[in-house]
Amino acid sequence: MNFKGYRWRHRHRSWLATGQQVKEPVIRIALAGNPNSGKTSIFNAITGQHQRVGNYPGVTVEKKFGRIFYRNRILEVIDLPGTYSLSAYSLDEMVARDFLVNEKPDIVIDILDSTNLERHLYLLLQFQEMGVPLIGALNMADEAESKGLIIDVENLSQILGIPLVRTVGNKGEGIEELLTAALDLYNGRLSSSQRHLNYGVHVEEAHNQVIAALEQDEEFTKKYPAHWLAIKLLEEDPDAQKKVQQEHTKADTVLSVTESVKKNLTRQYQTEARNIVSEQRYAYIHGAIKEAVRQNPPTSPYDLTERIDRIVLHRFLGIPIFLGVMFLIYQFTFRLGNPLSDLIGNFFTLLGRAVHGWLPEGILQDLISNGIIGGVGSVIVFLPLVVLLMLGLAFLEDTGYMARAAFVMDKFFHLFGLHGRSFIPFMVATGCAVPGVMSARLLANPKDRIVTILVTPFMMCGAKAPVIAILTAAFFPEHSALVFWGVWMLSWLMAFCVALIFRRTLFRGEQTPFVMELPPYRLPTLQTILLHMWQKAREYLKKAGTIILAASIVIWFLFTFPHSKANDTGVGSVCQSEILAPAAQGGSYAVRIGRAVEPVLKLAGFDWKLGVALFAGVAAKEVIISTLGILYGIENAAAPAANGTSNLNIRDLLRNDPDYSRASGLALIIFVLFYTPCLATLAMIKKELGSWKWPLFEAGYTLTFAFLLAIASFQLGKLLLV
Amino acid sequence: MTNTNFPKKSVLTLDKLAPGSHFCIQRIRAHGEVGQRLLDMGFIRNATGQVLREALFRDPIEVILNGSRISLRRSEARLIEVILIS
Ligand SMILES: Nc1nc2c(ncn2[C@@H]2O[C@H](COP(=O)(O)OP(=O)(O)O)[C@@H](O)[C@H]2O)c(=O)[nH]1
Ligand SMILES: [Mg+2]
Repeated sequence: MNFKGYRWRHRHRSWLATGQQVKEPVIRIALAGNPNSGKTSIFNAITGQHQRVGNYPGVTVEKKFGRIFYRNRILEVIDLPGTYSLSAYSLDEMVARDFLVNEKPDIVIDILDSTNLERHLYLLLQFQEMGVPLIGALNMADEAESKGLIIDVENLSQILGIPLVRTVGNKGEGIEELLTAALDLYNGRLSSSQRHLNYGVHVEEAHNQVIAALEQDEEFTKKYPAHWLAIKLLEEDPDAQKKVQQEHTKADTVLSVTESVKKNLTRQYQTEARNIVSEQRYAYIHGAIKEAVRQNPPTSPYDLTERIDRIVLHRFLGIPIFLGVMFLIYQFTFRLGNPLSDLIGNFFTLLGRAVHGWLPEGILQDLISNGIIGGVGSVIVFLPLVVLLMLGLAFLEDTGYMARAAFVMDKFFHLFGLHGRSFIPFMVATGCAVPGVMSARLLANPKDRIVTILVTPFMMCGAKAPVIAILTAAFFPEHSALVFWGVWMLSWLMAFCVALIFRRTLFRGEQTPFVMELPPYRLPTLQTILLHMWQKAREYLKKAGTIILAASIVIWFLFTFPHSKANDTGVGSVCQSEILAPAAQGGSYAVRIGRAVEPVLKLAGFDWKLGVALFAGVAAKEVIISTLGILYGIENAAAPAANGTSNLNIRDLLRNDPDYSRASGLALIIFVLFYTPCLATLAMIKKELGSWKWPLFEAGYTLTFAFLLAIASFQLGKLLLV
Repeated sequence: MTNTNFPKKSVLTLDKLAPGSHFCIQRIRAHGEVGQRLLDMGFIRNATGQVLREALFRDPIEVILNGSRISLRRSEARLIEVILIS
């Protein structure tokens, strides 16, 4: 807080007093470190509200950066993804590494958890090996001190050859010193040694041989530090091998030299080269810690985290507790979010009507009141759910509980080729698939993430549930509760089966290791959580919002055109006039499409009315029932279109319609459950997976899958149900 | 893919240990990504740790190593040769 005040004044003084632009180049500072080291806290403490979120080129890893004005310089701070190491196996590691190699930031600050220096210094050494201008932030200093760890910062810094600064990220302590050190290092007033630890005679010799081979290509070593790449080659790093193969002029020599020295090492040490490298790094770290860190008095391993874990990770209590926690998050999101969503929905309906009244009649009136206002409304309606849910999940993530959730759920999900964390998107999607898809970010492995995203929309969300409830009541009045429950179970079962099929076919390949840290429990700060919430809201509106809006207008177009004068009768309800008018004459494109595909629909026992209603349901599932209502012509200008009485009528109408048997009813229920997700979900998929390919694939495969299932259940139902 | 050297007769591996046991790592048999991840997490020769607990179906397990809690699947623990300390 102190620091923030300082910076704030400082900023203003500089801008106002000098009133001139700064001409020196922007200083680019990358923040790196292990997950849960406090990177985001420090990033927030430095940049405050001045942050942006983007993506790293070509991948869907989130890139956070922010610019601040500090001591007459512009600093650009980039929050790199958290990694345990710089090996090239995970996407996050690749991103962090490529950023350092290709973008060459001016300063790299490695955030270290002082309570666990052993593991955190391991990453620091790897940065040092890369030869980047490095500073270490000894974060969580408060926690370390209360645990009785006494770190001789000066001494440790000397041993490592790297400037170190004590920080407490969530309180903003030490940020000033950190930035000062960064500027000093930038200006050459401070030095950061690029010397590296000694790996022992044999490894050093091998290392030098590989360096010599690499240095045959000067262009190559200009691009990639030879020293670093040689170590990576000894570690059998696949990305380093690829880089050599593709870009080094003497790739064959380099690789064969590497192979032969590795063989020698293995013979001498009785273990692979990369094990020796890791062992040496750890030995060096142990030495450094022994010299510079005192433990006073030794802590008992039964600290608070262990005490909590004894309950939370209890063999039998673990899963019930997890389900309870999810239930709370779920209640929090939907109890609080649904009324807000309804409020927003009603507001936009009223606004649409009001605007409809003000504007002169005509196509423009309809476009604005229904197409645009309706479209914007359908974007904002989801906002409370997205924001609240992200808030809940951020809380779980920042406290450290999320890793525990993965721990207790992993066995079950692993059977279906998924990761323990996949449970969360599934669970969330039973409320709404839009935040469900978004929460799949928790999955680090891209394949896990894609598969999870592709199947989560199968869950029975809050919009599908009432539609299916009405359909079950219409077609299975005696057993509606049982059928509803069965359908709900079916949604989970199918999601798992399809996930397994995907994992075995399109998304084969090695599963990522489950090896991960269960971080100590920590309380996140309010500032972090609020910032997070604000970012998610903005991101949702900007990225998904534009797509949803555009798609809503397209749907409006299909239901409105071709337009005829007779439609402009100013029907009371927005919802009704939107679909009813042209439909009544069998004229809109949507209806024409419905009639055209009727012969195919017949296979599943559907007629064109259902076709049109289901098509409208792609805009939003709730619309299925109201569209059917309109198509039946049960509405009149006076009656409200939504729920209540008209739903009752629809139920009876469906039940008594001679066109539909119970078999076609069953097919319809199954089709609604599994077919193409709503536009908002598709837009979210595009946003999360970064390419149009995925929402198109999603729409196509779910449609095919649902239709095949519907045909099967119709044909079977004809035999079994009377 | 992960496990090339077939276990010699009756080498003790981490997955065989009951919660509460202290162990000392002898060798890592894992290759590729799992191997790298284990090394990065501090599973190296002569490191000592303790098995803390296991999940409902006895998988995954949690160990404490160098002061950090690490969870891993039993199939991954099988790639770590250990000796029992107590
Ligand atoms: N006690 C303490 N907690 C901290 C400190 N820095 C961050 N935290 C907390 O540690 C947790 C993880 O921090 P975060 O910034 O999200 O870590 P990241 O995963 O590296 O981005 C959050 O609950 C923070 O509030 C610190 O210096 N001391
Ligand atoms: Mg973070």
